[in-house]
Amino acid sequence: MTCRYSYSKRTVVFLFTLILCLTACSDSENLGNLDDTFFLRRANADMPVYVHGNGSEKVFLLLLHGGPGGAGLNYRAGTIKNEIEKKYAVVYYDQRGSGMSQGSYNKNGISVDIMVDDVLALVKVIKHKYGDDSRFFLMGHSWGGTLGTATLLKDQHLFKGWIEVDGAHNPSGLYYEYINLLTKTAHEQIAEGHHIEFWEKVLKDVQNVDQHKINLDDFYILNSTAHQGEVRLANDHVIYQANFDDGNAFLFKYNLITYFSNRFQTGDILSNKGMWKTLDFTSRLHEITIPSLLLWGKHDLVVPLKFGQEAFQKLGSTSKRLVVFENSAHSPMAMEGDDFAREVLQFMDAYK
Amino acid sequence: MNLKLIRTLSVFMLTISVLHGQESLHQISFMDRTEFKVGYDGNLIWNNGISVGGEYLWKEKFNVKERRKGTKTITKQVLFNVNGVLSTNFSSQTDTGFSGWFGLIWRRTNPKGRQFSLGINPLGFYRSYLPETYEVKGDKVRKVFLAGRTFYSPSITIGFGKDRPGKKLSGRYINFNFAIKTPNNAGLTPYLSFSYGYRFKL
Repeated sequence: MTCRYSYSKRTVVFLFTLILCLTACSDSENLGNLDDTFFLRRANADMPVYVHGNGSEKVFLLLLHGGPGGAGLNYRAGTIKNEIEKKYAVVYYDQRGSGMSQGSYNKNGISVDIMVDDVLALVKVIKHKYGDDSRFFLMGHSWGGTLGTATLLKDQHLFKGWIEVDGAHNPSGLYYEYINLLTKTAHEQIAEGHHIEFWEKVLKDVQNVDQHKINLDDFYILNSTAHQGEVRLANDHVIYQANFDDGNAFLFKYNLITYFSNRFQTGDILSNKGMWKTLDFTSRLHEITIPSLLLWGKHDLVVPLKFGQEAFQKLGSTSKRLVVFENSAHSPMAMEGDDFAREVLQFMDAYK
Repeated sequence: MNLKLIRTLSVFMLTISVLHGQESLHQISFMDRTEFKVGYDGNLIWNNGISVGGEYLWKEKFNVKERRKGTKTITKQVLFNVNGVLSTNFSSQTDTGFSGWFGLIWRRTNPKGRQFSLGINPLGFYRSYLPETYEVKGDKVRKVFLAGRTFYSPSITIGFGKDRPGKKLSGRYINFNFAIKTPNNAGLTPYLSFSYGYRFKL
């Protein structure tokens, strides 16, 4: 009896140790093929960080996901994974209140300023883990463009370059541009005979929103219509279909209930803090002087090309380039992945 | 604050269980009134884990009905439930943790041994286990040993099962669980899982 008991105890200890090892001991010491997952803890939040790719040169592309409330590993697909990771290390992370991040704070614990400090803290952690000689490029997609711009305005000297991909450095400017662009696109698509019923409804919806001041409910209608419109454009071959390999991996890496719960909460908090009504960094873009690459889909209805052109004009960088993807909308990395990766790699090669 | 509340309520419920147990089913030994259980808990995709626990019979009522074919007995029980789940997401390492739930189960067993149960676990916690964590305070970065967070996590359960009297595995069950973790981030996080397993007596 005693013997059976001690055997069980040993088994339990062994199994527990095995589980801990399986979940904790997978860090790769090989910089050439990084496959690391760790957490960044700051200001009552624990945020997962996933580092993949070739870190042999200690050049890291820090990727800020969209949303707010998106997920870092949403972007680990297509040519980002298959091309960019081959040459450089890519740092994906779930921002505060996003993806699988966890923590304990109140609504004051989420703001653009706090999230900027998270990004800067992440740079410190990567330097601590991989060496002080690590170099960084910052990439922001969509809402990541808001966060990235705010980060650079606080401390741009940590970064070798800025890559804005269909980024919302002027969230409060989106509302009226939605009205203009959706109206224009609807007329064009109706004239082409594309999804006439849908685009006629878009015209009606756009006419029904408040034309004089930004209304949050109307903003969500317009934003949702923009996303739906891009699906119709892809169906009518105006733009390429999104082709992001390994997209299914997302399903297994994220608890979707947690993901959507975080997304709604964080989006709601930032919206109520005036993100879509008052936030605009356009007048400060001249302060950003590091080399900048702007990558934009020509048919982006979610963050229209107008904002890319505006950023190109106003950024203070002497080295800046705007690349317009003719067959893409809001996510050129998924629609014209090869060209996207080529542009990113050329930029990083030039300024690392 | 939450931990203090959980501790107080745990002691309260344990006291109730011991006192009431002594009053009603005192002629049956503690071990005979206790079934242990072990099984799978998770959702097969994002979370997979192992669940172990016990159920202690608090109250039991038999409804005997005379039918043309014979006597029909329906058993209704109220049990104290203790359950622990260790779960993880093997593909991301970002969702590993241990849940502990304490509460009550109401269970109806029909003459064929089929069971339906409802459970409520007002006392619950979830302790996350983070793989490798770096804390940043000002310019200082330090590695945190055994990082994790504790959340208050009550749950409710709806379950179906089969009583297997006289067998080594005295019953099997499939439960559907809904829990919340709070405070998580700036609010709460819902959690859904199912558990499948067997009950047994020692």
